[in-house]
Amino acid sequence: MASVADAVVPGQRLGHVQEFNVGAGTYALQDFIYASVVGLKRIMKQGGDNELPFMTVQRENSQSAIPEIEAIVTCKVVRVNPRFASVNIMVVDGKPCTDDFQGIIRVQDVRATEKDKVKIYNSFRPGDIVRAQVISLGDARSYYLSTAANELGVIFGTSVAGGSLVPISWQEMQCTKTRVIELRKCAKPL
Amino acid sequence: MDTTTATTPMNLENSPAFTFTASTFQKLHPIEYFRKFVSQGVRPDGRLLNGFRPTTVHVGVITTANGSAMVRLGGTTVVCGIKAEVAEPKLDSPDQGYLVPNVDLSPMCSSAFRPGPPGEQAQVVSDAINRVLKESKVLDLKDLCIEEGKAVWTLWVDIVCVSYDGNIYDAALASVMAALANVRIRNPSYAGGIIKVAGGEAISDENSFRLKLNRTPLSSSFALFDTSLTLLADPNFAEESISQGQISITIDEHDELCAVSKIGAGSSSQALLRQCVDRARERSKELRAIMSAQ
Amino acid sequence: MDRKRVPGPELSVAPLVEYPIDHERWTPQQEKRHDPKRQPEDLRPIYLKTGLISQASGSAYIELENTKLACGVYGPRPVKKIGQGFSGMGVLNCDFKFATFACVKRRNNTRQDPQEKELSQILSQALAPAVRLELLPKSVIDVYITVLESDGWGSCLAAAITAASVALAHAGIEMLDLVAGCSASYMQIGPSISSTTTETSSSSGAGNPITPQIQIFMDADTEEEKYEQGAIVLAYMPSLNEVTHLLQNGKAEGPIINQSVEHCMEACNKVYAVMHHALLESMKESKDA
Repeated sequence: MASVADAVVPGQRLGHVQEFNVGAGTYALQDFIYASVVGLKRIMKQGGDNELPFMTVQRENSQSAIPEIEAIVTCKVVRVNPRFASVNIMVVDGKPCTDDFQGIIRVQDVRATEKDKVKIYNSFRPGDIVRAQVISLGDARSYYLSTAANELGVIFGTSVAGGSLVPISWQEMQCTKTRVIELRKCAKPL
Repeated sequence: MDTTTATTPMNLENSPAFTFTASTFQKLHPIEYFRKFVSQGVRPDGRLLNGFRPTTVHVGVITTANGSAMVRLGGTTVVCGIKAEVAEPKLDSPDQGYLVPNVDLSPMCSSAFRPGPPGEQAQVVSDAINRVLKESKVLDLKDLCIEEGKAVWTLWVDIVCVSYDGNIYDAALASVMAALANVRIRNPSYAGGIIKVAGGEAISDENSFRLKLNRTPLSSSFALFDTSLTLLADPNFAEESISQGQISITIDEHDELCAVSKIGAGSSSQALLRQCVDRARERSKELRAIMSAQ
Repeated sequence: MDRKRVPGPELSVAPLVEYPIDHERWTPQQEKRHDPKRQPEDLRPIYLKTGLISQASGSAYIELENTKLACGVYGPRPVKKIGQGFSGMGVLNCDFKFATFACVKRRNNTRQDPQEKELSQILSQALAPAVRLELLPKSVIDVYITVLESDGWGSCLAAAITAASVALAHAGIEMLDLVAGCSASYMQIGPSISSTTTETSSSSGAGNPITPQIQIFMDADTEEEKYEQGAIVLAYMPSLNEVTHLLQNGKAEGPIINQSVEHCMEACNKVYAVMHHALLESMKESKDA
């Protein structure tokens, strides 16, 4: 493993901007590169010989996850109305959030085609677990999410009867108890 | 927790293609996650179902207080500080002092608490401790009298939760009892309506007094999990948030019950309650040994 | 009436402490501090540890002998306050609290204390320049401080700054630098001309200096603060060599202030070594676990 000498704390000077590129966990101020997180110093060689290696600091205590644009998030539907579904974002890029963030999936962001025919109520129901992508930081309260891709949509759901739902097509799910078919925007299993 | 390499238990969810890490799965399906462990007779933190977390007690940690104690129960840390002040007694009990316990669950100790006046849980715990101290007559309030009808001691027992990880009641009550046993108050003198205490020399047995504790009640709590009401001793935060209810058994040093409380979880059998009492007896002895070792 | 707490008597007071006539109180004398083992430039030994609060994103506990406080950092998390507009920058929210038993006099916690409010504000001003808030849009970082025991107002604030910046780093939040805090008090030493205290027998010194001599005591405790003429608290980023916050109270002449700022910067470098060590320790621990 890495030696103690590679362990750095925020503010520690790591090198000169002429020798390295600024990588994750570092920042440049005037002529020097400094660490901005606690972690291990790593120099990443990249690309051709003419390119500078990246100076990075591998975090030791990862910051709790926050949604970023294009991140894939896992969320739970809390409310639906004809214009959008409100969700609590629980996991960002595989990292659970300590506190849930709010997001909405607007009706025009549910799927990529035939956007005018989408009905929120036939796509999501409260309680569903949905995989979605962050498309914008949204307004003061919510992030805007999209499920307009095959692998995005409902991944777990509970039927009206209380059984769990299994996807049978990209817009239908079947209850394991009663065999009743319910409508959802399903995620294609990866 | 991540060392338990539990990817999605496939049989629970009928979508075999979605796999998650253990921590993600716990976040999405906390109860399912827990059931997996409980069915094996263990808990995610490695404890057995009736295991309590390691406990330490330190007394006299705060020098600005008359008595103090810090109790750590796994990830839960509480500090109890007792300050003695002089007040006028109530008209109907002119020779009795005051004993005022209050628990502070600040937003520092967990994200579950908001700043501002005490929340529901803080009120419930404060009240439960107040009731145990009063009903079990832990302290004879007459011992706190300075001059009948004129002046008595008020013991402000403030419990600050530094780190919250479940089972605050057990930790808080233990810290109160340890701090009460640690209290030293300088001998007061009453003259013309003014209470004076002698300062200067170091506090010693000659110039101060200790409190006489009639009983030392200590509690043991259990969470009731799932519809089967499996008992989980000393629940941590994650366990508390998914439990159906909680049973707390408070026992004194003579193995006598001081208080029993059961919150939530519909109905439970007598056998379940007996099981709790038996385990609480053992636990109370262990905890007493830890406290007296101090 | 407060129905959310167990009620006590409406009014209660601390008993009057009566000192015997022959009792010798500490007064600021030449080169001698309240704790005789300390030199004027000495700080109290610092104990600093991370990761005490299991639920928090980052936490730190600091102890300077009798000054003890805990700090918990939560976040970045969504903004809870409704009515706050969209913000492209993160918000650093600090809350400073004393436990009721933290000071010599009991604090009543039923109302928000103006002193706590002021300290909260100072703390966030001292820390914000070091945190890269531009990376955290729409989020808030909450920093909570609880003082368990206070021995010196200035040292308490300085310790809070130190602990909070370590807790922020422990939470994995991107920062430009750590912020070390340090306090200093200046006081008139030697036989006092204006008798501020009940002096009995200390005026026997020969050759009284006409001009009062000012001595800087670093990291003063409560007893020393009673005699101070003024004090400063400095928040400083040691590796960038920048001051983030400077608070000066009381009466002092320019050179004294300059000198104490210099002393504080020097001391901050010592504090930085402790912070550095504590964070590396926390790394080792997380590796062992």
